[in-house]
Amino acid sequence: MIGGAARLSRNDRLLGAAGGFAALVVLVGFGAIVFDLFQTGTASLSIPFLVGKVENGGRAGGIGPVLISTGMILLVCLAVALPLGTGCAIWLSEFASKIRFARAITAGIDLLASVPSIVFGLFGMVFFCRTLGLGFSITSGGLTLACMILPIVIRTTLIGLSGAPSNLRPGAAALGLSRVSTIRHLLLPVAIPGVVVGTTLGISRALAETAALIFTSGYATRWPEGFDDSGRAISVHIYDLAMNVPGGAANAAASALVLLLALLFINYLATLLADRWLLKRIAPTSE
Amino acid sequence: MSSLLKLHPVSAVFGAFLCLNQSCTDSSAVEKITVTGSSTLAPLVADMAGLFEAKNPGIRIDVQAGGSSRGILDASSSLADIGMTSRNLKAGENGLTSHRIALDGIALIVHSQNPVSDLSHDQVISIFTGKTEFWNEGNDRKIVVVNKAEGRGTLEVFLKHFELDSADIDADLIVGENQQAIKTVSGNPLAIGYVSIGAAEYEAANGTPIRLLAVDGVTATSKTVAEGTYPISRPLLLVTKGHAVPAGLTGRFVEFCQSTAVHELIGSHLYVPVRE
Repeated sequence: MIGGAARLSRNDRLLGAAGGFAALVVLVGFGAIVFDLFQTGTASLSIPFLVGKVENGGRAGGIGPVLISTGMILLVCLAVALPLGTGCAIWLSEFASKIRFARAITAGIDLLASVPSIVFGLFGMVFFCRTLGLGFSITSGGLTLACMILPIVIRTTLIGLSGAPSNLRPGAAALGLSRVSTIRHLLLPVAIPGVVVGTTLGISRALAETAALIFTSGYATRWPEGFDDSGRAISVHIYDLAMNVPGGAANAAASALVLLLALLFINYLATLLADRWLLKRIAPTSE
Repeated sequence: MSSLLKLHPVSAVFGAFLCLNQSCTDSSAVEKITVTGSSTLAPLVADMAGLFEAKNPGIRIDVQAGGSSRGILDASSSLADIGMTSRNLKAGENGLTSHRIALDGIALIVHSQNPVSDLSHDQVISIFTGKTEFWNEGNDRKIVVVNKAEGRGTLEVFLKHFELDSADIDADLIVGENQQAIKTVSGNPLAIGYVSIGAAEYEAANGTPIRLLAVDGVTATSKTVAEGTYPISRPLLLVTKGHAVPAGLTGRFVEFCQSTAVHELIGSHLYVPVRE
């Protein structure tokens, strides 16, 4: 008995060591990337770099217009994907549970999540740019990204909604609450952390996107004047500097640092918001 | 409706955005042309466009990257007003006029630890077709041939110059952009590849461990390209639909890209201006 317990604890220690080693590998890998970015990029990073216009193909100047374009693309993307995504998730979870067709939709959504982004890019170029006549524009890019992150938003909202206690719905019905009220006052607050997680994941994926954007929102580096302007997203800028512009490596690294910091900030903000909503959310009464 | 809006405050933002976008598409008073094509040429032409826009207020020139073949296709189908291509037009590509704006040489590059500094025309063919497999006579330093992907301007120029077919090349690695080829060769002492001379010169001058090989005794530099003595070079072209110099804004922009006003810009992008 005692020997058995000792062997078990040795196994435990082994497992702990293996897990620790795995964590260390991940940490070193991530650290090496960040270190390399800092080493190559910090010299270029400055306030004028953040607000300046792109010059000499990106070798000189800053990334001001690129940041504005990225923000506008993200705005279009979220303005479309959030209401559509949460709406679709609510319908699937609350209204369509007995419709067989809904299962096909869920399967379709999961399939959509695994489609490579270049496919979304080519679809966006044909459908939004040409068929709908939006051309190379921030709107085309944002809509293409919205298609791409829709599955993430729907999935995470569905998970959020499925986390609602099962007695919430009959309880609300017994109290004579309408479905709309039940969803608005009881289920949505429960699902909000899920929506926040989905939005964060969506933003992260959208910000990191190159392939879906180069053929839709395009390549232009001037200050965007409207949503029908072409505007270069930050990941497209990093790609172009690294691949097509000799001598662009330092500014590519600096831009990547900006992207990394933006993502960290958004993640931090999302965690903060989720915590706050979790505290405020209606606690279900015990049975 | 109001309860719906309360249910989804985000949809109010969506609505506001739609209105905003509507008003934007209505106010298209500016004159606008679209230029698409070669990702090699796109950064240069984008800067030329910026300069042209600054001199001509109320004009918009949108430059989009996507490869030489796409530029030719878009110009033929009138999807773009101007196409950019970093190779000459091919036999089937009719109905277009090409306008040369700059030159680019193609340099063969090896790792700087490689003692080779000059190759003959025939040696290059022998290496890239796999007939010569080793750098040395002891046969222990195997040559790693880095080729470009199908559709790349540099590949087409390389094949045409050495009168090779794409299928003849015995490649160990296939890469896309110039920078990718440079990174690959600088990381492998046994590799040989070919890239734009300007990019190779810049990287070599800034400490990247690569060497530009002379071909048949002619050194590979921007200067020998400009003089016309270096044998492997390609034109950087704008193409427009039809057989005449295009009218209006398109014609003015093409003319601007060929003027001496952009020579400095061409130099700063590491290409060679065309001197008449």
